[in-house]
Amino acid sequence: MSDLDDFKATYFDECSELMNELEEQFAAIEGGERDADRLNAVFRAIHSIKGGAGAFGFSGLVGFAHAYETLLDYVRDGRVEMTDDVVSLCIRANDIVGDYINAAQSGEELAADYGQEEKQRFDAIARGQRGGDEDEWSGEIIEEFDIEFTPVRVELAVDDGDVVEAVEAPVAAEPDTFDAPPMPVEPGHWEVRFTPYRQLYSRANDPLLLFRELAALGEINVRAILTDIPALSDFEPFGVYCSWEISLFAPDLTESAIREVFEFVDGDCSIEVVPLGHVVPPAAAPAPAPVAVVQPAKADENLMALTEDEVAAAPVRLVAEAPSAPVAAEPVAEEPALSFADLANEISASAPPRPVPQAAAPKPAAAPKPAAGGEGGEEGGNRAVGVQSIRVDLDKVDRVVNMVSELVITQSMLTQQMDENLRARYTELVRGLEVLAQTTRGLQDSVMAIRAQPVKSVFSRMPRLVRELATKTGKKIKLETIGENTEIDKTVIEQLSDPLTHMIRNSADHGIEDPEKRKSRGKSEIGTIRLSAEQAGGNILIIVEDDGNGINRERVLQLARDKGLVAPDITPTDEQIDQLIFAPGFSTADAVSDISGRGVGMDVVLSNIKKIGGSVHVRSWTGKGSRVTLRLPLTLAVLDVMLVKVGESPYVVPLSSIVETMQCSGAIFERVPSGGQVLQVRGEYVQVIDVAQRFGMHSNKAPDDRFVVLCESEGSQKVALVVDDIIGQQQVVIKSLEENFEQVEGIAGGTILGDGNVALIVDVQGLRVHQIHQNAA
Amino acid sequence: MTLRVLTVDDSRTILAMLHHTLSNAGFEVLQAEDGKQGLDVLMSHDIDVVITDINMPVMDGIEFIKNVRASGQYQSLPILILTTETSQDKRDQGKAAGGTGWIVKPFDPDKLISVIHRVVH
Repeated sequence: MSDLDDFKATYFDECSELMNELEEQFAAIEGGERDADRLNAVFRAIHSIKGGAGAFGFSGLVGFAHAYETLLDYVRDGRVEMTDDVVSLCIRANDIVGDYINAAQSGEELAADYGQEEKQRFDAIARGQRGGDEDEWSGEIIEEFDIEFTPVRVELAVDDGDVVEAVEAPVAAEPDTFDAPPMPVEPGHWEVRFTPYRQLYSRANDPLLLFRELAALGEINVRAILTDIPALSDFEPFGVYCSWEISLFAPDLTESAIREVFEFVDGDCSIEVVPLGHVVPPAAAPAPAPVAVVQPAKADENLMALTEDEVAAAPVRLVAEAPSAPVAAEPVAEEPALSFADLANEISASAPPRPVPQAAAPKPAAAPKPAAGGEGGEEGGNRAVGVQSIRVDLDKVDRVVNMVSELVITQSMLTQQMDENLRARYTELVRGLEVLAQTTRGLQDSVMAIRAQPVKSVFSRMPRLVRELATKTGKKIKLETIGENTEIDKTVIEQLSDPLTHMIRNSADHGIEDPEKRKSRGKSEIGTIRLSAEQAGGNILIIVEDDGNGINRERVLQLARDKGLVAPDITPTDEQIDQLIFAPGFSTADAVSDISGRGVGMDVVLSNIKKIGGSVHVRSWTGKGSRVTLRLPLTLAVLDVMLVKVGESPYVVPLSSIVETMQCSGAIFERVPSGGQVLQVRGEYVQVIDVAQRFGMHSNKAPDDRFVVLCESEGSQKVALVVDDIIGQQQVVIKSLEENFEQVEGIAGGTILGDGNVALIVDVQGLRVHQIHQNAA
Repeated sequence: MTLRVLTVDDSRTILAMLHHTLSNAGFEVLQAEDGKQGLDVLMSHDIDVVITDINMPVMDGIEFIKNVRASGQYQSLPILILTTETSQDKRDQGKAAGGTGWIVKPFDPDKLISVIHRVVH
């Protein structure tokens, strides 16, 4: 019973959360926010409360919640309007639901008619929607679903199973008549003709399983009808060509029991259930043509063990042989009768005279139960995802993260120590190291998953910001958020708040136009800022879009020239101009406004995002809007990189930004008038950055012996880095350069390699931006 | 072989009861609170059978089933719809989306297990 108490405790916990949710939702609904999301959330809350209440038999609560839920269902599909009256009725109803929950929790009894008045009002409103049809709306809960049978074509089998005549006969027009077969010539003998349609298979139903189910009812003989199978040339891979005829016998076997087996595939197949009329009494002789493919005797093992081959092979064999020849089978007469009795005895006592399907069904199901103690225990059968949770001090998690990071380094160090010689000699060790690498990776992923949180926590702060900005600027702005449940590392989330605030401020202040201006441009008066998060490969993309003005490129370029960021003789591309807004101390607002335009906004965005190993990209469409994309790493700390050599020093380039690598000897370089070099790659010109030159080092290799690493960061153009050597790929742990030294342009951070050497992480995007400035200077 | 069941429901109570019933019957139970989570779990584990609620936030059961069936990999994965809906409406929607069968809440533990065995090999 303690299990039940546990469930109840969970349920009441959940109820209190749901009641809070209802309260929050209705606060907004009262305030006029009556959108579909809110109404759905309210419906779900009441639905969940009702669902649990049903499980514990809190019938008063179920009854009230059901009536309330029905009203809400009408509201959410628009049949009932959410007027203020309805809102206040709902708020009253919430209190009543709360009272019912409290009563259920404390074991009190509420008056039988408690909430009756409100229930009647639901009823009245609902009835209003149904055009006063009272009969249809009873307000009662339909506890069970009756299977309805429509008249089917019944074939009267006469004389050795040959179908001589078919008549239309209404079968079991009323549920009560189910148990009395329409043609009770031979009680317990049935013929089932089963023709699946294609959709039966597309819903993962399987005839084999249905046969198994039938076999649990009694003695069964399955014949496959293969006459519809076309020639190989006409054969469609997903065509459905096979149907089956099944003879069934069990004393007292009813049609409804057979039909119940096909409950899930109703409509996905054609089923004819016909009583067999010509058979001798079961006790007198073995059933005629049918062969006992499966006997009910060894019910569980046999039924469960019924393999595909058995079912498939038997019918084919039977069809191949003359149908009239009774295939010698096990004597089926006495044994089944006996075993059926056994079976019936085992079946719950609830339906002793006639094992109706409900009673029969649990039988095979009982099989796994004993196993629970044994194999069920091995993995605990318990791998809760996202539901059961514990609170852990973040420090503890971080300690694990740190240790895992160190482990990654150690593992990569070990791998590096394995030279060819050792590899050849110690194959077992190599294999062990490979497993270690895999496990470390898994461990790292798992640990990082612990730190992952939905971006909702940051996103949820933004609507308020937008409201405030709208008020301050006198603009009309609406915020849309998408992908709130995307999960990112906690540290990334913490670093995200400032950049997002700046980006949204920027959009509200510089992007979205005044209502009049928007109108004159043929746009809706209300500007939209869309905030979305999604996972793309190993990265998370956070996108802030607006449908405003777009970046004023003329103005940006002018300012950049004034500030000496772009030389007068250089004409940057649109894309380059857009990226200029990230330059430190840049501000385009004519007057520094109260909201943004302090000239730190986008600068902060860039540096914050870089700090966590991400990149920023902006795109803009004049007069139509702009989009800023933040590409963030899924996990912090560990980065997949390519290790390269420049001069005598190792550098690492994030693998995610590398497009391809090639030897310089095979590459086509061309000089451009400004003095720089470009690389021609498949007809495209790519800016070349000599890393050695850029970082003031000396390359001691002949130009042709060096390598090109072709990189592309989010949305920007490609850039070709020239390095001296490519060493290989590995994982590294990112160490902040800023924290330990200072910010260096073109460098995203540092790392310690397996051999203890420090390598710097190349910031591809930073190098490009720098190069533009340098070219400009 | 231990069968692995993915249960998808936004109600913790229902998840807990399913977990209890199923793990006692020797199943390994995985849980998700909405369709989206369900898809994530499904893709990262070998699942033998799915039990899903219909009314859920983020991604409801119907969408979830459609998404699962849209992937060729899961054509023959049995999906049971767990529903309090007594009207046949939801059940039909679930079936049309690709549901294999259904279980009506509140469920009887034995019935639950038997329905699972009806749809898995």
